[in-house]
Amino acid sequence: MIKLHKGIFLIIVLSLVFFISGCAKKGVEQVEEITPPETGATTEAPSMEIEMPESEEGVEVAAGATIEEEIANFQDRDIYFDFDKFNLSPEARKALAEKASFLNAHPEIKIKIEGHCDERGTREYNLALGERRAKSAQDYLIFLGINPTRTSTITYGEERPVDPEHNEAAWTKNRRAHFVVLVK
Amino acid sequence: MKRISILTGMAILLFSTLLWGADRIHIDIQARQFKKLNVAVPSFVGPPDLVASVWDICSKDLAVSGVFSLIDPQSYIDQGPMKEIGAGTLKDWILIGADYVIAGQVDRQGATVSFSVQVVELSTAKILLNTVYTTNADSVYRGVHAFMDAFIGKAVGIEGMFSSKIISIQKKGTKKQLYGSWCDGTGGKAIQGGGDLVLNPAWSPDGKKIAFVSYWRNNPDLYILDLSTYKVGTVSNEKGINSTPCFDRTGDKIACTLSIDGNPEIYMLDLKKKNHLRLTNSWATDTSPSLAPDGRSLVFCSSRAGTPQIYVLDIPSKKVERITFAGTYNTEPVFSPNGDLIAFTHLAQDRRFHIAIIRVDGSRMSVLKGTGAGDESPTFSPDGRLIAFACSDGNIYITDIFDTMSVRITTGGGFTEPSWSSVIR
Repeated sequence: MIKLHKGIFLIIVLSLVFFISGCAKKGVEQVEEITPPETGATTEAPSMEIEMPESEEGVEVAAGATIEEEIANFQDRDIYFDFDKFNLSPEARKALAEKASFLNAHPEIKIKIEGHCDERGTREYNLALGERRAKSAQDYLIFLGINPTRTSTITYGEERPVDPEHNEAAWTKNRRAHFVVLVK
Repeated sequence: MKRISILTGMAILLFSTLLWGADRIHIDIQARQFKKLNVAVPSFVGPPDLVASVWDICSKDLAVSGVFSLIDPQSYIDQGPMKEIGAGTLKDWILIGADYVIAGQVDRQGATVSFSVQVVELSTAKILLNTVYTTNADSVYRGVHAFMDAFIGKAVGIEGMFSSKIISIQKKGTKKQLYGSWCDGTGGKAIQGGGDLVLNPAWSPDGKKIAFVSYWRNNPDLYILDLSTYKVGTVSNEKGINSTPCFDRTGDKIACTLSIDGNPEIYMLDLKKKNHLRLTNSWATDTSPSLAPDGRSLVFCSSRAGTPQIYVLDIPSKKVERITFAGTYNTEPVFSPNGDLIAFTHLAQDRRFHIAIIRVDGSRMSVLKGTGAGDESPTFSPDGRLIAFACSDGNIYITDIFDTMSVRITTGGGFTEPSWSSVIR
């Protein structure tokens, strides 16, 4: 029993480490650039990949995080969409619920939601689609009780990919809403 | 009974074949059955640098013409420069399969350049054209394009479109800026000052202004660049997106996409009255309007049926009719200058984007081969025969509505969203 607990604890800690370091690397247009607190994580990362669903619990564990860490967490977690879609998946809604609780805990913070698309659609259409994605995220935050005046949206269409590669893995990452903290 | 139904079937088949054939003829005369005319262009007489640049413009114009084909100079029997074609040499040109020969002389005097050019039609053994074009040294293109316009007019009766320009978006590092060139790709240069991220360029009907989207103020807003003064004015900076501008034929109105009322809808901006009129009303994404030449209708893209498809909107009644039913992704429609065809970007069965054309009533959709590497953003030439588009390799290509070619007009990559001007005199 004790051994098992230790194992779970290790998984949670490692997935948290992976989560923070992995996400910080792909940060785009961050207002605050936070360097990952741990460095040795990269070697463990591949084997920990399957434990990613645990990362939500990992975030809970980070209750003692500083405001800078919390903002980094908030900004580094994009929500993702299917091709040509702007509806929110259960994972996206879960992530938005966490963002809402962060915003509730920090009423002074205002955010901008960026809507992005992968390169496959056409530019003009993607500009509009990116806006729908940002608005979907915004609407859900408002539904969760966030004051609309604290949120704004912008679309970049397919102009600002987080991953410039031309493959499914890159496209999956690029169909996203990204969150930027404006005022602390 | 069986025999009757077979006969009826055959009659229907025959009748429909006749109908199909009859309807296609007026396009096919110009196109599928039209063999490109072979043109020989020996080197011109004059200063080598000038001769080289004039010859280069001539050859590029032939390449994008959709009508002419340049005969490789290696095959010319006399490979020397010539300012006119000697009567005794006609058989040499006929021998290599030429329909026309262009000879000429280029002179530079101070700030002026004169291009004295002669075209011989070999089928009639007559001089088709014998003219001198004089231009400023810095706008040699203008003179050569005026010549090519006259040549295509005399040879095949098509109103020349060589004196037109293509504006596109060029990626430079992390920036995107406006880039303009003549329609054959010559004389290209970047137009700076629009901000770091510029999109959706569109010409005014007189070719003097360009409407575009810029993120200057951290929002996709609409601006107009005046090419005579290089001043930029704000057209629309409403909350949300302000995108995909398209001038009407007067230049006083712009159809565009705004999301001021919650989601992307089509609006008409009146530049004089400084107001906007909403034209569509749908929960879905409506974008990319392109006005018919008569201004009474527009074609646009909407996802109201679940996937992006092409719709025609009658502006007075605001009645909307869907015209594309093939495929799950049809976007970026543009009206042809004659108002009979619509070109758009179509996700084809090979899972790649292709330019497709369709009639305004939704009939006769055809998917163009193009580069085969992923083509988007079609724009018609002023005469409606040619279509420029952006390929996924980052270059702009020109094809014709009959799908006979795919000619690259840019080099180096980074180019997207071409927009073809009217003829600029």
